[in-house]
Amino acid sequence: MGEVILTMKEIDKSFPGVHALDHVSFEVRKGEVHALMGENGAGKSTLMKVLTGIYKKDSGTIVYEGKEVEFHNTREAQDAGVVIVHQELNMLGHLTVAQNIFIGREFKKGIAIDDKKMNEEAAKLFDMLHIDIDPSETMSNLTVGKQQMCEIAKAISHKAKVIVFDEPSAALTEAEIDELFKIIRDLRKQQLGIVYISHRMDEIKVITDRVTVMRDGTYVGTLITEECTKDDIINMMVGRVIYEDPKQHSMVPENAPVVLKVEHLNAGRMVQDVSFELRKGEILGFSGLMGAGRTETARAIFGADPKESGDIYINGTKVTINSPEDAVKCGIGYLSEDRKRYGIVVQKTIAENSTMATLEKYMKGLFINKRAERGIAQEYVDSLATKTPSVDQLVVNLSGGNQQKVVIAKWLVRNCDILIFDEPTRGIDVGAKNEIYKLMNKLAEEGKSIIMISSEMTEILRMSDRIIVMCEGKKTGEVDIEEASQETIMNMATREIS
Amino acid sequence: MEKLKQNPIVVKLGFNRIVLCGVLLLMYLLFSVLGENFAGIPRILSALNYAYFLGFLSLGVTFVIATGGIDFSIGPVMFCSALVSGYCLTSYGVPMALSLVISILVGALFGTFNGYLVSHWSVPPFIVSMASMNIAKGVASVFTKTQSVSWPQGTSEQGWFRSLIKVGNFPVGLVIFLAFAVICSVILNKTRAGRYILSLGSNREAVRLSGVNVKKWEMLAYIICGTMAGIAAIFFVAAYTTVQPGYGDQYNNEAIAGCVMGGTSMAGGLASIGGTVIGVFIIALLQEGILALHFTKDYQLIITGIIVIVAVYADVVARRRKN
Repeated sequence: MGEVILTMKEIDKSFPGVHALDHVSFEVRKGEVHALMGENGAGKSTLMKVLTGIYKKDSGTIVYEGKEVEFHNTREAQDAGVVIVHQELNMLGHLTVAQNIFIGREFKKGIAIDDKKMNEEAAKLFDMLHIDIDPSETMSNLTVGKQQMCEIAKAISHKAKVIVFDEPSAALTEAEIDELFKIIRDLRKQQLGIVYISHRMDEIKVITDRVTVMRDGTYVGTLITEECTKDDIINMMVGRVIYEDPKQHSMVPENAPVVLKVEHLNAGRMVQDVSFELRKGEILGFSGLMGAGRTETARAIFGADPKESGDIYINGTKVTINSPEDAVKCGIGYLSEDRKRYGIVVQKTIAENSTMATLEKYMKGLFINKRAERGIAQEYVDSLATKTPSVDQLVVNLSGGNQQKVVIAKWLVRNCDILIFDEPTRGIDVGAKNEIYKLMNKLAEEGKSIIMISSEMTEILRMSDRIIVMCEGKKTGEVDIEEASQETIMNMATREIS
Repeated sequence: MEKLKQNPIVVKLGFNRIVLCGVLLLMYLLFSVLGENFAGIPRILSALNYAYFLGFLSLGVTFVIATGGIDFSIGPVMFCSALVSGYCLTSYGVPMALSLVISILVGALFGTFNGYLVSHWSVPPFIVSMASMNIAKGVASVFTKTQSVSWPQGTSEQGWFRSLIKVGNFPVGLVIFLAFAVICSVILNKTRAGRYILSLGSNREAVRLSGVNVKKWEMLAYIICGTMAGIAAIFFVAAYTTVQPGYGDQYNNEAIAGCVMGGTSMAGGLASIGGTVIGVFIIALLQEGILALHFTKDYQLIITGIIVIVAVYADVVARRRKN
């Protein structure tokens, strides 16, 4: 670890009604990977947004390369060498890799864009990073992992000295994460300062040198990664011990009836001849790598995307599901992996979102019975422990975990018998994760049946009664929890790739 | 300023709407000082005549804009309604009451057409409404054989429909218009239709994945819009008697201006009926004022054009600041 390159001191930032950052301090040294951890809403993203000029700080100082600085926008920060690699990638799919990397500062030959030069320059960058990507490839043809590598290359091309990775691994496969780590280690060797935001404890242990923990907008402490245990960090984050053991036995009674039967479902390349059964009170895990077709299968069952063929039976009766409307009438609820886009209406209140799937039950004649609506919403705010001042709060003002709870409330209000949880804990902190696990177990006990799609192996092993594995659009395996292990599942998930 | 904005009464009424009311009053004072004989009842009644039909257009289009869509056909559809029903009245001897119903039906038909194409076929609303604008003009010309239609005078036997806007000097039209505004506000804020229309304007996919039939509700917004254009036609002819085929475009802009000025977001998801009402009054007063200052109608086109741009720009800026 080298000298300090960036110091943020006593940073304070308030939004109306929220003290988002309460005199937080943070530093990064040259040649270190510094993890920034904390539950959702702890203020990590806000701190980084203050750093890169997206938010203006109320007070405090930022010292970068020995000088006090204040960036007014990301462009200024970028020019100075402070770059964020976002969780959501900001790439233009129809342009080539090189065009994306040099967007806004294209090489020119006269007035025409010099694509050849850009490809050469991009190739040099990739060489330096030991990344194998063709610069003239169209961006949308790359996997999410490769696209992220391009983001990194872009950051490097800005002569970055500090790179902030905001949950870089959320959408990556295990192999891609390994590759990412190789690059990060390379950057560390080149004396860059790296901030690594992630919820995945294993990664923190593997890749980072120091860990700074935040909680509720305050600075909790900084640890040297080697000298601390996973539990130390978690305790700093939440102040309680987390249980992460795999489930030992299926909780489903022997004679539990089949509530959902899917036969020979086909929907495009990503869903080929998928058949399975879901029993009452069961949590059925769907495992597989990114792009295995799990989400597509769920969306086809739910009627969100058209299907080509296949039969769906609910409680033994064949049903026709051509739209989400049909699916909801059949008692199916779907919690999307992408809450912001598919789960919530951010400009509406918690109460309004809670009844979105059930509004017809909260009517008084022609009019919405707002009192009953707020009542039921409050009930679920209480039982799910959603953190909010009131049910009239706009959902846009909630943190990720609390937004997820609103989506869950929406389907609980509907009282669906079959719930599809698609990556239910993505981007959610450890504490809220456990609450959601507990909730899912409780729902299963009450006789609800759950399909849980998850890319996290620990989550699959901890929650599922039975596991279905998919790979490239096909079902490649099915195991009961008693026989399941990381190895067997991984084996099935990669069966056709290698 | 911030303190004022947080005052509970101001919050209840809406800060923007209070500012708009201020603008309305200021404009009235300004025209009263500058214009000859502007102050007084006759000018107000004349401005109200303009506000009625424009108001119905604006109320209707508020629903469409709330879904994130747009309807550029409302002006010509209003003219088409007035021409088709007026032609039935004058040339085929259809009774007055039935003619008024026909007017509303023609509007509703166009609304259904637009709504179906937008919601079920996913044709962009901009294209659909531009096309149906021309269809409306064409239908009106064909139906009337390119003749203008004059509705009966107030003194004639069938002139009773004119009391829809005024009996003596009492503005009946204002009462009807405000009553419709209240109904629209209730629909938008207190019913399922309004909840879904606003929600799908904000995040269509999330609403669809909640099992809501978004096509139905989106289509409904266009039907309301078209129906309101049909009603607007009645108030237009009750005030101005004669309609000529081939016109009506300029009212699109004015109606949309009134709506956006009132705080309805072009991006969808946010709408204010109260704002629309005040916005309409401002546009109507503006047109009356411009005439009183001896400018030609052309200036009004320029000014409303600018108002649309400024109002939409203000909306964009406000949203950017929120983010």
